[in-house]
Amino acid sequence: MLSVSNLHATVGETEILKGLSIDVPAGEVHAIMGPNGAGKSTLSYVLTGRPGYEVTSGTVTLDGEDLLPMAPNERAAKGLFLSFQYPLEIPGVPALTFIRTALNAQLKARGEPEIAAPAFLRLARAKAAELKIDFEMLKRALNVGFSGGEKKRMEIFQMAMLSPRFLILDETDSGLDIDALRIVSDGVNALRSPERAMLVITHYQRLLDYIKPDRVHVLAGGRIVASGGPELALELERDGYDKYARAA
Amino acid sequence: MAAVKQTVEHVASLEKYKHGFVTDIEQDFAPKGLNADIVRFISAKKNEPQWMLDWRLDAFERWLAMDEPDWAKVSFPRIDYQDSHYYAAPKEKVGINSLDEVDPDILETYKKLGIPLREQEVLAGVIGSPRYAVDAVFDSVSVVTTFKKELAQVGVIFCSMSEAIREHPELVKQYLGSVVPVSDNYFACLNAAVFSDGSFVYVPPGVRCPMELSTYFRINAENSGQFERTLIIADRQAYVSYLEGCTAPMRDENQLHAAVVELVTMDDAEIKYSTVQNWYPGDPETGKGGIYNFVTKRADCRGDRSKVSWTQVETGSSITWKYPSCILRGEGSSGEFYSIAITNGRQQADTGTKMIHLGANTRSRIISKGISAGKSSNTYRGLVSAHPKAKGARNFTQCDSLLIGKHCAAHTVPYIEARNGHSKFEHEATTTRLSEDQLFYAMQRGLSQEEAVQLLVNGFVKEVLQELPMEFAVEAQKLVAISLEGSVG
Amino acid sequence: MSVAAALKARNASALPSRRDEDWRWTDLRGLIRVLPEPSAPFNGIVVKGAFDRLADDHRVLVNGGVTRIEVAADRKAAVALRLIARGAGTHANQVIVSLAAGARLRLLETYESDGGSLAHTALTIALAEGAALERVVLAADHEDAVTISQAQVTLAPTADYGQTLLSSGARRQRLETRVAHPGGRASLRLDGVYVLAGKRHTDHTSVVTHQGLDGTTAQLTKGVVRDQARAVFQGKIIVSEGADHTDARMGHHALILSDRAEVDAKPELEIYADDVACAHGNTVGALDEDALFYACQRGIPEDEARAMLTEAFIGQVVDRIWFEDARKVARAWAAERLRA
Repeated sequence: MLSVSNLHATVGETEILKGLSIDVPAGEVHAIMGPNGAGKSTLSYVLTGRPGYEVTSGTVTLDGEDLLPMAPNERAAKGLFLSFQYPLEIPGVPALTFIRTALNAQLKARGEPEIAAPAFLRLARAKAAELKIDFEMLKRALNVGFSGGEKKRMEIFQMAMLSPRFLILDETDSGLDIDALRIVSDGVNALRSPERAMLVITHYQRLLDYIKPDRVHVLAGGRIVASGGPELALELERDGYDKYARAA
Repeated sequence: MAAVKQTVEHVASLEKYKHGFVTDIEQDFAPKGLNADIVRFISAKKNEPQWMLDWRLDAFERWLAMDEPDWAKVSFPRIDYQDSHYYAAPKEKVGINSLDEVDPDILETYKKLGIPLREQEVLAGVIGSPRYAVDAVFDSVSVVTTFKKELAQVGVIFCSMSEAIREHPELVKQYLGSVVPVSDNYFACLNAAVFSDGSFVYVPPGVRCPMELSTYFRINAENSGQFERTLIIADRQAYVSYLEGCTAPMRDENQLHAAVVELVTMDDAEIKYSTVQNWYPGDPETGKGGIYNFVTKRADCRGDRSKVSWTQVETGSSITWKYPSCILRGEGSSGEFYSIAITNGRQQADTGTKMIHLGANTRSRIISKGISAGKSSNTYRGLVSAHPKAKGARNFTQCDSLLIGKHCAAHTVPYIEARNGHSKFEHEATTTRLSEDQLFYAMQRGLSQEEAVQLLVNGFVKEVLQELPMEFAVEAQKLVAISLEGSVG
Repeated sequence: MSVAAALKARNASALPSRRDEDWRWTDLRGLIRVLPEPSAPFNGIVVKGAFDRLADDHRVLVNGGVTRIEVAADRKAAVALRLIARGAGTHANQVIVSLAAGARLRLLETYESDGGSLAHTALTIALAEGAALERVVLAADHEDAVTISQAQVTLAPTADYGQTLLSSGARRQRLETRVAHPGGRASLRLDGVYVLAGKRHTDHTSVVTHQGLDGTTAQLTKGVVRDQARAVFQGKIIVSEGADHTDARMGHHALILSDRAEVDAKPELEIYADDVACAHGNTVGALDEDALFYACQRGIPEDEARAMLTEAFIGQVVDRIWFEDARKVARAWAAERLRA
């Protein structure tokens, strides 16, 4: 599904990704773990096309389609969704308005009919209930004045509403207490399906107790330095990243 | 309410200016008044070369054609520029070689002020304690500069301006007036004509000045003004931290202090300039006497990634008119301004900064804390501007004012001029008074009113105090406390 | 000399210039060397105004005139006031508004021009105790026009005054509001929105003087400038000695969306009383790039995301308009200007 090959990327004048390759087939969940500064967040921004993150060589394809020439919204319309480590506050724009605008823009880009207001509201109510989000909160400006946990839940809510095909979760567990973590993970797991794939970026193994990965990769020094099954995450939890940081 | 009222009263009753004594020594004066002959007199006293005299005379001509500025929120009777001595010096010769030649009364003066002029006194301090070199300016002349030899070993020039004109004319010619042009403003122009002494610092490429440099300005003579001129140049990748302190005796007449300070930083250089200004503020009841502190301070960040940081603690002077500024010319250069301005009695302060963003990706930060008490007036006036080429310019400004008592005033007058779509300016300002609740809370825990006020005010100014070099921060904190005793602010 | 006096004396050299502190960024003397001839009386037909439908009392001044708007005690009124310039002449308007105790007024004011006119409007607005006035000003001038509007507002204790200026600029456009605030639980809201393009200029200047105990002022101005446009915001809050318990807050926030646009701001506080809570905030900058990327990542095309974010930015001021129908007009105006 997602295929990244020998990816090099710079931020400003600094090269952060130095030949990163990874393949995530449809239906699978892959975890990317690594020490601070390894390039984990950079990878999520490069995949989603954030301005200022420049790809100098390498390829990124989703179902064989080249993502790199596409604008961020075009990639989103292809089904790429990033759950931000630090979700932005959007003053003056109610969450529902924002999500509906996004959903319709994606549908339009895919040549599908836009969703009507009643259907949209029904869907929003249902998803909000599943994620234990107060519906009133969705009428407020997106993320403005929300707690860290509420913002993360709002990311998962948007994910559920937009139903993307490829999900990137960037440090989604940070700032969550155990109850919130369970709600968020349930939301993510609900989206697991043979047509979808996920990349779970995390520093700690904790999240992987809730969102079980098929494969675990270690990112250090801008490239994947080791890959393995779920047991690799446990090893990292026990032994730390020293071994890999040195290798990088 | 009662607590604040009592504190205000208590505080007003305290004696506060500790540096108001007079040193009784014989002095040389220029005759009172100002004309071209006085300018020649000053130049001759300093054995200046012809080019320097010409420069002064040109400035004097221009000054005659200028008008005193009236836009600041300060008011004072017209200054009679003919009723002052423009040169006053202790009757010892200029250019003393060792401390033993300095008038013992002057040494005693500095000792009383707590300024170490004997290098061994500094060296004899606690091992590992930071050392600092001092240039001591007494009225119109520099009486001694310490640690010159040690500084010369690493190539740092630290001397009086008079000496620099004689010994380093090329550097002086190149930089003097290049940041603050002769006719920049009325007081700067007057200074250019009659400036007496001040400090000169040159730090060569790649050198990190091994100690703090400082100049201690003392006005002693009656009916005289002080017109010092300071020039600091940090060449490529150089660093220097410099501090000035100022005091004067308590006198009934107003004395004029019109200084000019020019800073130049080349690529990757940094200058940290700190001021603790405690000129005599005048009588708190009648407003009689005190220093008119009309000062032009400006830094030119010429080099890429160069940096200038101004920190000031302004507690003295009857009138302060002062805007230490940064011209951010080099790409990625940055300017900072941290200020505490405290006014009490009848003091008036109109002070702030200008951050002129000319180069791309330039940054500036302004933190201003004004405290007004008594019948004083305290104004923050600042300008932040971004030129069309200053893409990526950033400024953050925080201006807070604290009022203590019913008859004082606090003003905030920021000017913001943004001329491109890639810069970001943020400005926040608040005006409040000392919180009753906080005062009560502190007193309930056992602090006296005075201690509680000090504690809260110290909290209010902390962000700025911590920008001062360690050894001066302690002194500045004491000074704030003393001013608080006498002003709760 | 005031603008009104200079126009009356037909003396261009007496117009304010950048040497006058209050006019440093809106220089009339440097701009106008010769005053245009006085406007001829207009006898043509005037098309409908933006607020006509929202008011039952319509006042139309074309090329100068005087009108009085009086609302008796405890009565309600809605007035659409149109100040129209036809052609390229000079003229002056005078508007006198008074509200008796407990009276309520919606004053919906428009400035309309179609060429290089020079128009001055002097308004005096007085509110007695318990009176409430909402003034919504839509300054939709021609790009060649010079429009100066100066309002002097006097409030009595417990009066309630709300104002929103909506302006798209002109060759020079100055909307000035001076308020004498007595405290005494009188409350004041002074808001403004500007959306500028081309070489248009607008200047929102206000001076609020708190003269007594217990007054509140809430001020919020937001604007967007593009192309080579220039916006000026000068806001001054004065708290006189004895005006304790004043709560005054001022915000000015501007977005610059091009390389050559300019925003000049001077948010000023002048405080002579200690028991007050006064604050101002000012930001000038580009649209938040992070927010823009966030919206794009969710699938919203960049242009649409920009429009959405700028409309939301402006919308926070528009939402403060009390009168819902006027709010709708304002919102539609902002959307149209932003998407133009």
